[in-house]
Amino acid sequence: MIPEYGDEVKVHTKEQVYEGTMLPRPEIFEENYTIIKLDNGYNIGIDNKRIEKIEVLRKYEKKKEEKHKLSHNKNLPTVSILSFGGTISSRVDYRTGGVYADYTAEDFVAMLPELENVANLKAEKVMGIMSEDMAADEWKIMANRVAKELNDNEVRGVVVTQGTDTLHYSTAAMSFFLKHLNRPVVFTAAQRSIDRGSSDAFMNLLCAVHAAAKFDGACVVTCMHGTSNDNYCILNRGTKVRKLNTSRRDAFRPINELPLAKVFENGKIEILNSNYNKKNNQKVIVDDKFESKTALLYVYPGMSPDVLDYYAEKKYKGIVIAATALGHVATMNQKYSLIKKFKELIENNVAVVIVSQTIYGRVHPYVYTNLRKLSIDLGCIFAEDMLSETAYVKLGWVLGHTTKIDEVKKMMLTNYAGEITERSDEHAFLY
Amino acid sequence: MQINYQDLGFKCGLEIHQQLEGKKLFCSCPTLNSDKEFDIKVERKLRAVAGETGDVDIAAEFEMLKRKRFLYESNSEDTCLVEYDEEPPHLMNNLALETTIKVALLLNSKIVDEIQVMRKTVVDGSNVSGFQRTALVAINGFIETSHGKVVIPTICLEEEAAQKLEEGTDFVRYKLDRLGIPLIEIATDSSIKDHEHAKETASHIGMVLRSVENVKRGLGTIRQDVNISIMEGARTEIKGFQDLRSIPKVIEYEVKRQLEAIKAGKKLSKEVRKAETDFTTSFLRPLPGAARLYPETDVLPVKVDKNHIEKLKKELPKLLSEKIEEFAKRYNISNDMAKELVNDENFEYLRQKFKGKDVWAIVRVLTNTPKEIKSKLKAEDFEEVLSYFYEGNISKEAIIDLLEKKLRGEKLEISEFKAISEEQLENEIKKIIKEKPNLNASAYMGLAMAKYRGKVDGKKVMELVKKFVK
Repeated sequence: MIPEYGDEVKVHTKEQVYEGTMLPRPEIFEENYTIIKLDNGYNIGIDNKRIEKIEVLRKYEKKKEEKHKLSHNKNLPTVSILSFGGTISSRVDYRTGGVYADYTAEDFVAMLPELENVANLKAEKVMGIMSEDMAADEWKIMANRVAKELNDNEVRGVVVTQGTDTLHYSTAAMSFFLKHLNRPVVFTAAQRSIDRGSSDAFMNLLCAVHAAAKFDGACVVTCMHGTSNDNYCILNRGTKVRKLNTSRRDAFRPINELPLAKVFENGKIEILNSNYNKKNNQKVIVDDKFESKTALLYVYPGMSPDVLDYYAEKKYKGIVIAATALGHVATMNQKYSLIKKFKELIENNVAVVIVSQTIYGRVHPYVYTNLRKLSIDLGCIFAEDMLSETAYVKLGWVLGHTTKIDEVKKMMLTNYAGEITERSDEHAFLY
Repeated sequence: MQINYQDLGFKCGLEIHQQLEGKKLFCSCPTLNSDKEFDIKVERKLRAVAGETGDVDIAAEFEMLKRKRFLYESNSEDTCLVEYDEEPPHLMNNLALETTIKVALLLNSKIVDEIQVMRKTVVDGSNVSGFQRTALVAINGFIETSHGKVVIPTICLEEEAAQKLEEGTDFVRYKLDRLGIPLIEIATDSSIKDHEHAKETASHIGMVLRSVENVKRGLGTIRQDVNISIMEGARTEIKGFQDLRSIPKVIEYEVKRQLEAIKAGKKLSKEVRKAETDFTTSFLRPLPGAARLYPETDVLPVKVDKNHIEKLKKELPKLLSEKIEEFAKRYNISNDMAKELVNDENFEYLRQKFKGKDVWAIVRVLTNTPKEIKSKLKAEDFEEVLSYFYEGNISKEAIIDLLEKKLRGEKLEISEFKAISEEQLENEIKKIIKEKPNLNASAYMGLAMAKYRGKVDGKKVMELVKKFVK
């Protein structure tokens, strides 16, 4: 019998006999070891060169999972949970290495029993994808799927789960793609895997469902830990949020404005910034045209202007430049000046949008001569206090509608989804 | 009531936990026990999650029912984001692994080919993440005892848990400085014969651990858990022994407790119990089930190279028991004194400092200085006083007197203790005899010693006195 993952086996080596369950090796590139889970629960790796024979004692039989049937409560609102992958909706079967395929409402309730008392849940796993692999095609699927839920009168709000890495790109995309938004679209995720008791997924998901069920806004928001404590989540506007730490649970911070609200585990919602559209009865329209020849470029000291030739050659329609501070790039230094290249690009109808690498703050087209060169002489578009990531998504969306530089500029500077903050709040920095 | 352990079907195994020095197991924080004020406070909750096999662990469930808030506190000097479960673990501390391998080799164990780090579910809050990282490093070892071989099936390297500060009705407060300190876990099989044998086994393993460098010493750095069962009883894991010496008595009391319960027809359940200072035990929690371990996917498995093991084999230290025998022989002292020397960190330090000098003075000073004095003095104190001796400024009789002065915080007046020449001494003795004639030898001895105590060798004085007094 050929041993397979999950089987109970006896591994014979010259010196030793090991008995246990054969497990798949974690995803690393060497395969010279056989992994056995011993009866005491520990896994060990046995050097394949030492193995003389593997005897199968018992074949693995998959246990049938019994799912708890959910009841419908007339007094509770209905919330849809749409999963697009990520830590929060991925469970691995360690015995076989397989990933659980579905993530139904029952699965979420099994993970978080309180949910049953917050809302009637509908759930669907739309895709299982790592967030770094997501791009415009996935955003389009997402927008259509979310809109379908929002146009169902039964649904009070939508929760979207995905991986954290590019969560803020997705929220920006939904903010522009979903026109006439009527109810909250709440994105949530997990920084720590859900197979640990301390995972942030539990509170994040609970608060997200509360927000979808109760928040009075009609906007795309993130719902993640407000602090390192498990006490409340914050709702950040989808166009004004950024992941500022690789691993902390409070990594998602509002940029240049306050969070819209705090959401507590018990369902309490405390509004911090009421500058958002309120819940309404419009029909949501998906406007998901997106120009994929859009780029985001981070400039750095000593960057060769040649870099821009690539974009010109490949016929890009627009580039977001993450410039230094107020919006500078090299202009006086002959060797590194980008002026000539920008001029060429713009003359060829390529939009050049200036945002700042500093993350916080606003770019300014006029305070220095060099900035005036870029803005007045060349026609670079200074995108106010828009985040680089948001500006990238917005530019792709704008270019999906027009490639006329004047119109692109007009649209880039029109505030569609709160991406531009008119008043810079004193308390917003490092919130 | 005399207990016949054999007739009761007594089974007993030990789990010894030993902290290591250096850095923490999965981050670069120091393994201090800081007394600094807390500058970080975090509040968390834990939930029971399905383990590897999909079952929710019973022990985990039990803790979840309690629905506690966990308050974590620490000073940022000895904790970082890893302890707070805000950053993935770093690479496994190699020094800790090497130390564990050395211990395993000394315990005749086989090192596994590839070490897999696991997560052991712990939902009492003592691990912020909700699990303890642990890895099986070696299997199938043994030690020889007075009752034959005791097998050591497993040796693990794991993370130390956080220290509980306070427990309220709905919260538990923990201090995180201890969390993540490398911990060697040595488990024996259940072949321990009786209560005294348990103590002997624990003591032997403790001796092996202390033989290896990089192992922490002192209160709380080693802990023994005792697992026992008797026929018709239930397996009990007893934790929290203050002292090895209490093991036999606690086991005896626990066996008696179970016997009484059986007699009364009560049903015993598998429990973790705490050893109290009066040798009784008290209930802590139900014994955790088996669905407790799943892979730590954030850490790569560690291959153990055969050549590396061979290299470590060459670096293996002498066992303390061997060292004691050797010292007893070499310095011609009793086993007890030799043990004292072996356990005295000052000895190695002073031996290095006064290399090439007569080591006897050090041996004598360390074995003769009363314990209460020794425990309060630093290695540098011994070094200072011994240096006066080696430079010829004081006699060896003065060493302990000077150490006592040091302890009292008095200023050391070396001149007071300056050794006097034989000629001077002879003259002084003649003078004493002349001043008080017709006394016996021991009286003159007393007078001379009263005057020159600490500066002269008593034997010499007696010799000189006898020269003049018949």
